[in-house]
Amino acid sequence: MRAPERLRSAGGRVARWVVDTLGVLLALSAGTFALVLLARGDPAAMLAATRAGRPATPEQVEAVRAELGLDAPAPLRYLRWLADAVTGDFGLSLRTNTPIGPEIADRIGVTLGLVAGAAVLALVLGVLVGVAGAVFERGLLRGVLRTGALLATSVPAFWLSYLLVLVLALRLGMVPTSGMAGPATWVMPLAVLGLPAAGALSRVVAVTLREALDRPYVLAALARGSRPASIVLRDGLPNAAGPILSVAGFTVGMLLVGTVVVEQIFGWPGLGAYFVKAAAARDIPALQASALVLGGGFILANRLADVAQVLVDPRSRRDSGTRRRLPRPRWDRPGRRGTGETTAHPRTGPT
Amino acid sequence: MNAGHRRRGIPARLRSTLVALPLLGFAIVGLLAPVLAPADPTANDLAASLLPPSAEHLLGTDQLGRDQLSRLLHGARISLAVTAAVLAISLTVGVVTGTIAGYLGGPVDRVISRVIDMAVSLPGMLVALAVIGVRGPGIENLVIAVSLWAWAPYARIARARVAGLRGSPHLDALRLLGAGPGRIIGRHLLPPALAPCLVYASTDVGAIVLGVATLSFLGLGIPPPDPEWGQLLIEGRPHLASAWWLAYPPGIAITAVVFASNLLGERLATGDERPSILRWVLPAGLRAPAPRRSPARPPTTVRPTATSATSATSATSGGDGTLLRVRDLSVSYPHRDGRRRVVADVCYEVPRGHILAVVGETGSGKTTSVLAPFGLLDPTALVIGSATLEAGTHRRQLVGLTPPQRRQINGRHVGVVFQDSLAALNPLRTIGAHVDEAVRNTGRGGRRATTRRVTEELLRLVGLPDPVGIAREFPHQLSGGMRQRAQLAIALAGEPELLVADEPTSALDVTVQAQLLDLLARLRDELGMAMIVVSHDLAVVTRLADTVAVMYAGRIVEAGPLTTMVENPVHPYTRGLLDAVPRPGTAPGTRFRTMPGRSGTGPDDADGCAFAPRCPIAVPECAQEQPTLLALAPGHRSACPRQSGNATLVVGAAPERDGA
Repeated sequence: MRAPERLRSAGGRVARWVVDTLGVLLALSAGTFALVLLARGDPAAMLAATRAGRPATPEQVEAVRAELGLDAPAPLRYLRWLADAVTGDFGLSLRTNTPIGPEIADRIGVTLGLVAGAAVLALVLGVLVGVAGAVFERGLLRGVLRTGALLATSVPAFWLSYLLVLVLALRLGMVPTSGMAGPATWVMPLAVLGLPAAGALSRVVAVTLREALDRPYVLAALARGSRPASIVLRDGLPNAAGPILSVAGFTVGMLLVGTVVVEQIFGWPGLGAYFVKAAAARDIPALQASALVLGGGFILANRLADVAQVLVDPRSRRDSGTRRRLPRPRWDRPGRRGTGETTAHPRTGPT
Repeated sequence: MNAGHRRRGIPARLRSTLVALPLLGFAIVGLLAPVLAPADPTANDLAASLLPPSAEHLLGTDQLGRDQLSRLLHGARISLAVTAAVLAISLTVGVVTGTIAGYLGGPVDRVISRVIDMAVSLPGMLVALAVIGVRGPGIENLVIAVSLWAWAPYARIARARVAGLRGSPHLDALRLLGAGPGRIIGRHLLPPALAPCLVYASTDVGAIVLGVATLSFLGLGIPPPDPEWGQLLIEGRPHLASAWWLAYPPGIAITAVVFASNLLGERLATGDERPSILRWVLPAGLRAPAPRRSPARPPTTVRPTATSATSATSATSGGDGTLLRVRDLSVSYPHRDGRRRVVADVCYEVPRGHILAVVGETGSGKTTSVLAPFGLLDPTALVIGSATLEAGTHRRQLVGLTPPQRRQINGRHVGVVFQDSLAALNPLRTIGAHVDEAVRNTGRGGRRATTRRVTEELLRLVGLPDPVGIAREFPHQLSGGMRQRAQLAIALAGEPELLVADEPTSALDVTVQAQLLDLLARLRDELGMAMIVVSHDLAVVTRLADTVAVMYAGRIVEAGPLTTMVENPVHPYTRGLLDAVPRPGTAPGTRFRTMPGRSGTGPDDADGCAFAPRCPIAVPECAQEQPTLLALAPGHRSACPRQSGNATLVVGAAPERDGA
């Protein structure tokens, strides 16, 4: 009885997660599609004009409208659009009259690379500064770290890029002002994207770690003679990991959105710059496509962080209910159990 | 929160106000920009282009010769206008939506909540960009785009607030009085829902200002020639290297507003930060000056010194097998004005192999006085007095040890079992990981497998069946009794000479309690370990203790050998405690006596005996002078002046029983 039950419970939770995530993504796609309804101007006229190179005749516009299927009712258009989008076909750009799908595929690598680099920077710096902020007593260093972190989150990315360009590129001549070529060109985009994220993350790390370090198990660790470093690493950080992971997921999502600004500033050929170009030209299909991809990435990053949060806490694993039987047959080992009991809440459960 | 005392100078409330000042300045500048600005922000003067700051143009001019200061001030006006419009729209939409959802509940609430959740979880910048992308730039579209992502948090806050109020008797009463839903929502739900939303709005200003500036910078917000801050920056971009006055002021303005808003938000969200326990163990150099020692009320207390250890009030002398000797120990915590003692002038000693029980009511300071020598109190606690431990080969003063010195004592010579076994174990680590760490700390570990073998041996020693399996369990998977045994295994890892057990059995049911007490007694017999057992349960004490110390209001009121204390208690408080223990031998229907009054006072709250208000034999003099512990017999001390002179006489009198 045990194994199937366990499977059902674990499988049920995975299924639930998948269904929930798909639901949110579906809502995102509906919202993205609905952008057309907010639009001013006629997309068909725009594409016809792009093709003709001058304002199009009504016949040309009607031909394009029929070609794009814009004469069908909105729900039907949504379903068609969604079906195409799932296969990577986002139609033609109104601005360039070229397929959008391959363009996005070309550009997403740049954006993902930028996000990955900035995420590493944000996580490393954010956790280090956060730990320092939680561990050190009120004092100069702490004040500096805290103010620095808050400042980093408050400085607009585009202005930070100015400062970096002024200092690193123009004054010191260490890096080129823009473009994507060698490793040196990565310095400023990564800093502009990663530093604010690091600041935000460090505040969360500091606050949650501080809370985790105020718990009685830290006192107990002191009583058995554990070192501060061991207490921070083994007791503090793991117990603060839940909120930190959740914010880290959010941070990665925000980095993805932040590429919109950073790629535009530094002239990187990524998805963010494409999005801004599409928005500036009111290129609705391209706008929808990039919003769907960026928004989907944002949602996925958050949803995956939720999963990670569950995985780090043994108490939230459904298959580890409170058990009181003392002797245990050998096949009933920790880690693969599925007792029917509900998990007593750790803090309120009777002892 | 008692952190206020550490603040230097400025009280917390004032600091919040100070933080909000830049926001206020932003609002005032925005409102008064036309009056403050020295020139027309859009007036071109190509002859005066790109002039550096001067008396005429305080912040210089831009490429079209426009006065930069005027443009900056008018930029504040635009930012303020957009922010105000966005806040007005999103507050109205959010609060009304949230209030309706919270008030109606049921399926409507579920649907609206779902929509709110999704709206909150979407990246605002993306939404705004997309909306402007299809509608084109301009102030109107900007407000719509930003409001589309700004409303959701307000709806969530309002919904939570109203849902909390929905079931309140107050609303039921209103309904009974005939108030319609419109009136209830408008008069009684919207105002309380609005209040937290307004607070949140103050922290939202920064996000909106930043969003608007970013959109303008991308060319999708306020179109030129309106001097929006982000717009100023994008226009100054070509002249970045030559005209610094175009690059810095707008950025500083945005950063200042956003920073103030973020700081305010953080203060409101997390409140005052508490220092962690850990800062206590960091090297002194990394810490700010330790809390100053303000004079404790009785000026007789002394700093730990080698001499204070020997200037003992008790007759026993050192070097006689006494393991722990505590003299004149006082513990104080920061209080509104200065410090407040919670434990005062406590003296006790633990001979090798003996069990000392410390009893008393909740809040009597018993846990504090036994954990204080080992530095296991809150970092804000100030411990003075003396505690010497004669462990291993030499005698050590425990009060005032540095953290590395403490690590030589804690775990190696002293093991501690805490009261709440679930809280004292890290929920994310297995029992084995805990014990392994304790084993390694004491230097008994080796390779992973070797350490684990020691761990399993320890788990077996404390009577846990299947040590191999238990070591892999997490704390929440064990019962309270098993967790308490696991704590014991951790405490025993260093083969300590002294075990401190704080209420080791109070959270357990009676049979498990009995097993654990038997285990403690066995460990004492087999390992020759001395123990301090803190308990409020005299039944526990009588099964284990050799000597008993009774605490009341932070002081020891009576201490002596177990038999003396049970059979000849001298202090009226001790007698009261004994009377409150139900005995199997008494006739049915006999009501056991409880003590009148309540506890919870500190040692310095009363001029005289703290127990006097509840004492059945108190005389007026009791409330005037602090009684001292007087020796009645070898090892037996009491702090009741009315009893100590004629102890035997009084003890002979039968305690009265109600209803007998």
